[in-house]
Amino acid sequence: MSEVILQARNLSKHFGSGDSVVKAVDDVSLQIKQGEMVLIMGPSGSGKTTLLSMLGALLTPTSGQIVVDNADVSVMNETSLAALRAQKIGFVFQAFNLLEALTVEENILFPAQLNAGGVEAAKDRIDDLLERLGLTVRRKVLPGTLSGGEKQRVAIARALINQPPIILADEPTGNLDSHKGQEVMMILHDIARDDGCAVLMVTHDPRVEEVADRVLWLEDGALRDRKSEQHSWVIDPVCGMRVDEWTATITTDYQDEKIVFCSNRCLSRFNEKPEKYAGKLK
Amino acid sequence: MVYWSLKTLLSEPMRLIVSALAVAVSFILVTFFGAVFEGESDQMVAYLEEMEADVWVMQKGVSNMHMASSMVWDWKADKIAELPGVKEVAAILYLNGPVKVGGKDWFSYIIGLSPDHARAGPWAMAQGKSIPESGEVVIPKVISQLTGARLGDEITMIDRPLRIVGLSKGTFSMASSVVFVARDDLGDLLEASDQYSYIMVYAQPGVSSQALVDEIKNQIDKINALTNEEFIESDWQLAVQMGAEIIRMMTVLGTMLATLIVAFTAYSLIARKKQELAVAKALGFGNGHIYIAALCQSIVITVLGLLLALIISFTLLAWLPEFAPQINLSIRLHQFIPVAALALPVAMLASLGAARTVAKVDPMSVFHS
Repeated sequence: MSEVILQARNLSKHFGSGDSVVKAVDDVSLQIKQGEMVLIMGPSGSGKTTLLSMLGALLTPTSGQIVVDNADVSVMNETSLAALRAQKIGFVFQAFNLLEALTVEENILFPAQLNAGGVEAAKDRIDDLLERLGLTVRRKVLPGTLSGGEKQRVAIARALINQPPIILADEPTGNLDSHKGQEVMMILHDIARDDGCAVLMVTHDPRVEEVADRVLWLEDGALRDRKSEQHSWVIDPVCGMRVDEWTATITTDYQDEKIVFCSNRCLSRFNEKPEKYAGKLK
Repeated sequence: MVYWSLKTLLSEPMRLIVSALAVAVSFILVTFFGAVFEGESDQMVAYLEEMEADVWVMQKGVSNMHMASSMVWDWKADKIAELPGVKEVAAILYLNGPVKVGGKDWFSYIIGLSPDHARAGPWAMAQGKSIPESGEVVIPKVISQLTGARLGDEITMIDRPLRIVGLSKGTFSMASSVVFVARDDLGDLLEASDQYSYIMVYAQPGVSSQALVDEIKNQIDKINALTNEEFIESDWQLAVQMGAEIIRMMTVLGTMLATLIVAFTAYSLIARKKQELAVAKALGFGNGHIYIAALCQSIVITVLGLLLALIISFTLLAWLPEFAPQINLSIRLHQFIPVAALALPVAMLASLGAARTVAKVDPMSVFHS
């Protein structure tokens, strides 16, 4: 049986006080095992990113306990938390967040400075990572010359360079078109299956559900059971993909009609020529 | 992080060069004021140096020429000339005062020359004769260039008109030029026709200056005697003392300016890269790492500014005298020592502003981009 690598017990995060208190996360408990791919889904403002930030030791909970690889995060100081993030957690962000002045290779090796053995030890692993993520020929270029999909693959390689047991991904397909998004999801899926990493992903993308082991449904800051009828499928007019209207965050109003998209990329394309895609809505 | 900070800096070369140039300008200001000051100080002792005397004799209690007044009976010059070990003497009457040329007062060392002490006259001439007779004056060529005064034109010394008969070289200084007049004219003006101010003594070969000083002090009453080196050092120190406060103030101002420029550059760089710093923090880098990165950037900008200041200053040294002959510049490597010593504190001070920004960077912002 796989070992539990990430655990949250009665985790809460409240902002404000008195009557104006906002319970962003309210009494959440969860366990993530090695090799498991878990999605956190839910409507906008349900507390998904706040929960992810606390699990990633970036935000201090109001109450509750977080245990990462048997270490209690709640008792750690800033220095220990930084070390924990460097060694135990790999982050993948929606906006890629690559460092503009560094090449692909340097970006990937960037967190390796904080790991035992440093950059030299990580150089043995970088060739494998570049090959696995199809970045070998792009290793010396700057991020500015990469496509969105390539940038996200670099970000994934950076998250993996220190061989952390946990990968936290925040909307990793949000800025990608459907094809690239699918590619990135499969990479994360393989990381969980082949490397034994626990992958915890915040997403609105219903396609990921097919490859995930579990889906945690967050609503009003608390984990709830999600019923299948809570889906409200509509079609993205740009790529033709199925999108859950109820959870979607990427929307626009066009001719008094709310239009839902699977990604920002599709929204951008729509905004360039709305008349081209508007016909597909009918 | 240090590598990131350097690559980030180098990825925007124009911004880096502009920042380094701005720092260089403030360092050049400090160096320039120092160079002008040293150049002027050097020029203020130029007459003493060019005379190449072994010993200077003056009134008891006096040890300077600059800002000083000295009177010695003229017979004492004759008596000194007869002392053993003395090869030659040259005596001058001297007044520190203004000379009006081209409608402007030029504060000058007015040297009253006797024809028989011609050695005390100008050491290099551009035009005309070097030893003025009564009613005549020799002025620096630079004053002539600046005012348009020519040979034969009239100038005023205190209250008496004199005709320009010679233009000397190497005698101009913004603070104190050297002007030569006839001893009779100056003696008449000072009512000191039977006195000298300073007596230059030249030793016979094999006689040391110090031995000559001791001999003169033993034999002649109510005088002071100094070796050439002592006299020059004494005058130079006085000149330095007079300008030191101004130079110190200019150095502080220049340093503050450099600090502000480096601080602004480091701060703006950190502020612009806030998102990347948030990423670094999220990935596990601490404030210490990031602060060192900011410090590195400040040091690079400061050192680059310092190097540019060196290059520009030495280029100016070669170029400026042709266009502004009135400025006596003296740029020596040692003048850069205080500026270089300031560079590190400047960089560290400048990083403080950036450090504050670094501490405020919230790693959570990686989720909001």
